Amino acid sequence: MSRLLVRGGLVTLAVLTGLVLIAPVLVIIPMSFSDSSFLEFPPTDWSFRWYENFFSDPSWRASTLSSLKIAVLVTITAVILGTAAAFGLVRGRLRAKAAVAGLVIAPLIVPYVIVGLAVYAAALQVGLTQTTLGFVLVHTALGVPFVTVNVAASLASFDQRLEQAAMSLGASPLTTFLRVTLPIIAPGVAAGALFAFITSWDEVVVSLFLSGPELTTLPVQMWSGVRVAIDPTVTAVSSLLLLFTITAFAALGVARLIRNRRLARSHR
Amino acid sequence: MSSSATTAPDRRAPSRGAEPDPRPAPPGAGSPAPPGKRRRFFLTDGWGALALPIAGYLLVVLIVPLAIVFARSFTDPTLGLGNYAAFFASPIYTDVLVNTFVTAITVTLITLLIGFPYAYLMTIAPPVWRSVLLVVVLVPFWTSLLVRSFALVLLLRDTGAINETLLSLGLISDPITMVRNFTGVLIGMVQVMLPFMVLPLYATMRGIDRRLLQAAEGLGARPAFAFWRVFVPLSAAGVAAGSLLVFIQSLGFYITPALLGGPDDVMLGELIVQQVSTVLNWGFASALAAVLLIVTLVLLAIASRFIDVRRIFWKEQ
Amino acid sequence: MTFKRKGVALAAVAMVGSSAACGGGAAAEDSKTLTVVMWGGSAQEAHVQSYVKPWAEVNGVEILQDQPTDYAKLRAQVESGEVSWGIVEVEPNFSATACEEGLLEKIDTEVVDTSVLDPQFVNECAIPNLQYAFNIAYNTDVFGEDHPTTWEEFFDTEQFPGKRGFWKYVTGGILEAALLADGVPADELYPLDVDRAFEKLDTIKDDIVFYETGDQQVQLLASGEAPLVQAWNGRVFQAAQQGQPVANEFNQHFLSYDQVVIPKGYPNADLAMEWMGHFVTDLQGQAADTRASAYAPVNDKALELLEPEILEELPTSEENAAKRATVIDYDWWAENYDAVSERFNEWLAS
Repeated sequence: MSRLLVRGGLVTLAVLTGLVLIAPVLVIIPMSFSDSSFLEFPPTDWSFRWYENFFSDPSWRASTLSSLKIAVLVTITAVILGTAAAFGLVRGRLRAKAAVAGLVIAPLIVPYVIVGLAVYAAALQVGLTQTTLGFVLVHTALGVPFVTVNVAASLASFDQRLEQAAMSLGASPLTTFLRVTLPIIAPGVAAGALFAFITSWDEVVVSLFLSGPELTTLPVQMWSGVRVAIDPTVTAVSSLLLLFTITAFAALGVARLIRNRRLARSHR
Repeated sequence: MSSSATTAPDRRAPSRGAEPDPRPAPPGAGSPAPPGKRRRFFLTDGWGALALPIAGYLLVVLIVPLAIVFARSFTDPTLGLGNYAAFFASPIYTDVLVNTFVTAITVTLITLLIGFPYAYLMTIAPPVWRSVLLVVVLVPFWTSLLVRSFALVLLLRDTGAINETLLSLGLISDPITMVRNFTGVLIGMVQVMLPFMVLPLYATMRGIDRRLLQAAEGLGARPAFAFWRVFVPLSAAGVAAGSLLVFIQSLGFYITPALLGGPDDVMLGELIVQQVSTVLNWGFASALAAVLLIVTLVLLAIASRFIDVRRIFWKEQ
Repeated sequence: MTFKRKGVALAAVAMVGSSAACGGGAAAEDSKTLTVVMWGGSAQEAHVQSYVKPWAEVNGVEILQDQPTDYAKLRAQVESGEVSWGIVEVEPNFSATACEEGLLEKIDTEVVDTSVLDPQFVNECAIPNLQYAFNIAYNTDVFGEDHPTTWEEFFDTEQFPGKRGFWKYVTGGILEAALLADGVPADELYPLDVDRAFEKLDTIKDDIVFYETGDQQVQLLASGEAPLVQAWNGRVFQAAQQGQPVANEFNQHFLSYDQVVIPKGYPNADLAMEWMGHFVTDLQGQAADTRASAYAPVNDKALELLEPEILEELPTSEENAAKRATVIDYDWWAENYDAVSERFNEWLAS
């Protein structure tokens, strides 16, 4: 009975939270179909002009592709480096553990505008401004803390005796890692990967420094001109991204459903 | 997630029915050096070595360039501690620093209060609903910060959609001020920070063996008590990780507070940006950043004594 | 240089295939390219299309664009000697300070005939590229003909109730407006009596809403959230053209302007200077830009090419110029910006 009450409370809270989270989108999507070059809600006239603008303007396409490429590369490098660091920090006997831990979260504590200024000065010297490499190097540094903190949190509540059990039954260290360790820390790695991706994908302050005519990322493109006027194409981009994410999750969900049904059938 | 994986009970969890932790030496996956005197000369064992690549990476890519900038706080415009003296000479900077930390702590607490039950619901929900909950919490990620802030203003302002609806329904007679004040700042920041709390919590909670709860109840604990004494301590690592990520990121916010807050909702980040980009006083800007960095680290050190932030990195020995 | 080698080594580790060689920086510029940097958005589009591209086509110059202007990037480029920005649109108080600090190329008056420009908009390192006003703007649904026409009325919240919008940027005319409202004669504004200005602002502080961007000022105005805003005339004009219930009042407006500069050490500084020389007398280009962006041209002769309905909305037309309070004195601002902006932050936070 009280359990039912608790569940009811949880669901109510989740619905309320969800509403607050979704509310801005309920404004943004209609605005993206507005005909006005000012952000207005509700729109008075409707059109697809901002979507047309996104697909026809090469600079929007170029910056979207650059952002995607950079964010994917950043996710890969940050996950590898950050996961390794989490293992080192949680399991290792490291003399300077406090220093290394501090070092790993430092990129989060230093204001991004200072990071931007610092790496810009350095990148100018070595010719890495406006390059994919430059962005990936810097964004990886910004994304690693998210991976390390998340994986470390998963590892901290992980029972190492499971690994010992696996190895005492003859599994190699690699098999143990892949079949025992990885599945258990996977949600932490996934969360870290997602945060690393978003950090790169959404980052504007440092990216403003590194970008230029040769290479601009999507957030920088969105930010351009904000002082005077926001380009409503931004609302179209946001709506498209949402559509993409929801489709991707829906596809994953369907795939999982199908797989689970098959599994259930094969177990019968 | 298969529930066959048994998670080690935490020290703070009731140890009834669980064996004492034998504290094994690190296993061989990283082929650690055998314990011995020899190792004292090295910084680390096999596992610890895994943390070194990122340390080296960050040193080169970030710390060296940052050191050059931070050095300016002692040299630009003149040699000495002038920039730090200027920080304490004017009340505005300490006021704003305090305001920044108050905002960050408030945001962290609110996201924790909302995020914990939300993440818990995700762990008990059927897969489809779990995905829906996940998508919803990620929605703010995919909408540009700028548009999202504007949209919130359009909804929340005195002449906005929400107030006009409430007014026309006769539910209120005067508009509720929800934006251009601290409320607006909190709504805007909690929105963006919620995923950073929910995902680490969810990742940790998924690894918790729920049979421990059943066991506790089987031994006569009331469900609420069992939850509080078994489940909550086991999710402590997630709480610490989420709070750390939210707190530290909130310290750096300035665009959302500027757009959704009132004139007095100034964050240190905004002043630093002003010093870097408009006033071009880089010495003072880096002094401000250094103060922020030091106060943050000190606070984290203090917090770690109470909230056990160390759990994230230090397994109990 | 160890930094460079380690960077490359890390790159190899990260297996990122892109080459560092094609990076930005001065080396990438050949002799006939010019990088133009402005505040971005549709305004930059209009400026470049109207008065940069036509010149570039005739002279076979390739135009690269970057945005938005960032003083920190400009200074970092000059300090490192890797200058990739050629023409940069800036605020006049920045150009004055930066010129003194040696961050900018000096204007070669042999190439750029600055005599066709109003001398108060020109300094050793900068020429103006557009003019606009900080003026009273009002919501036409809330206030019709009976709207405030002076700053004194703008500050009178009893006669004209409602929130007031101001730019959260201290050089944006807020102190000047407060002083005029407090009875300081327009020709005695500078040096600003900062204390007096903040005292006057205190009287309406609870009724002030600040905006950060051009879009916000239109939203505040059009929604009626703040039916009175100290606004930029061009932004309000464009909103009115699109049917929003907003209008400009030019009485007692403050004239402001942006400038263009060349960062010190830009490899193609000569080319940039050549463009400046062309620009100051490019009446067609300036007029075209005014039609597209609603900013006033800097060579007054260009006004003759413009249609009456546009002139009506420009602060520099004969009729509106007569209503001007004063030109913002950016030399004063250059000297006092640090101290006054700190004071402004204090006032905001208190």
